[in-house]
Amino acid sequence: MWEALEQMPWVQTLSGTGWMYASVSVVHYFSIFICIGTIVILDLRILGLTARGQTATQLADQLSPWTWTFLALALVSGFLEFATGAGDYVQTWPFRVKMLVILAAIALTIIVRSNVPRWDRLPQMPASAKVLAAASLVLWIGSILAGTEIAALTGLG
Amino acid sequence: MYSLLFAFCKWLERSPWGHWVGDTLWGYPFVQMIHFSGLSLWLGTNIAVDLRLMGLGRRRQTAAALSENLFALNWAAFCIVVLGGFLLFSASASAYVQNIAFQYKLGIFVPLALTWHIVVQRKARVWGRTPEVPTAARLAGLLEMLLWLCVVTAAVEIPNH
Repeated sequence: MWEALEQMPWVQTLSGTGWMYASVSVVHYFSIFICIGTIVILDLRILGLTARGQTATQLADQLSPWTWTFLALALVSGFLEFATGAGDYVQTWPFRVKMLVILAAIALTIIVRSNVPRWDRLPQMPASAKVLAAASLVLWIGSILAGTEIAALTGLG
Repeated sequence: MYSLLFAFCKWLERSPWGHWVGDTLWGYPFVQMIHFSGLSLWLGTNIAVDLRLMGLGRRRQTAAALSENLFALNWAAFCIVVLGGFLLFSASASAYVQNIAFQYKLGIFVPLALTWHIVVQRKARVWGRTPEVPTAARLAGLLEMLLWLCVVTAAVEIPNH
């Protein structure tokens, strides 16, 4: 199945055309930076480490559209990069770990976002909020490490 | 001048940290993680302000408020980026300085984008006090985004040269 994806004409065009693959890489890097950046800014706000001049709700409200827009861009560009070597990627453990970590991180981000208004109404950030924010931060940084390990340990990408 | 630069590069490569990043299995990806995590926070804080200046997205807070609230984190992130970048550079410094894409990235785009970022950050306090921002500010935000895209593009091209 994954080999078949790799052999599709448009995937062959993408992997065989230097500027196309490079453009997809640029979109992928740029959007993961902004996606993860805006998520981690909110995590750090919940931990009380930044932007204390505004509430976490205000910050989440401003950043959320960008988080989800750039997450969508990262997923699409990531899938395109994956398609060019799908058969090889699925067999390597750093890639599998990366996918699992990203899945967990997205789930955690959704949980954090949906709870921020409720946490903000409490006199202070509950410990559970800080634990979830710290876990989100660690998972997203972990997804970056898993990504860099793919190239380092398998030579793919 | 050039031989001095080259000698400096060779010295970096032979330094304990250059050796650690360049020649160990986990050194390079670990330092990449530091560089990319810093970049996430640096570009996340930059672009959030740029997009607000451009008038895109939600407008419940002004660009000035957003910029001021993220100021400390913005520059803390910059320090992480520089630290990670310096360590990555040390691993194969002499190859990087001869790489045309790296020369564009560090010689032209990074100084341009950084200077422009500082200008935009200072001006955001004036431009961004009201929900509607002047056209000049919108263009300034757009230009900063494009400059950082140039930096990322040059970086992606480094392995191809």
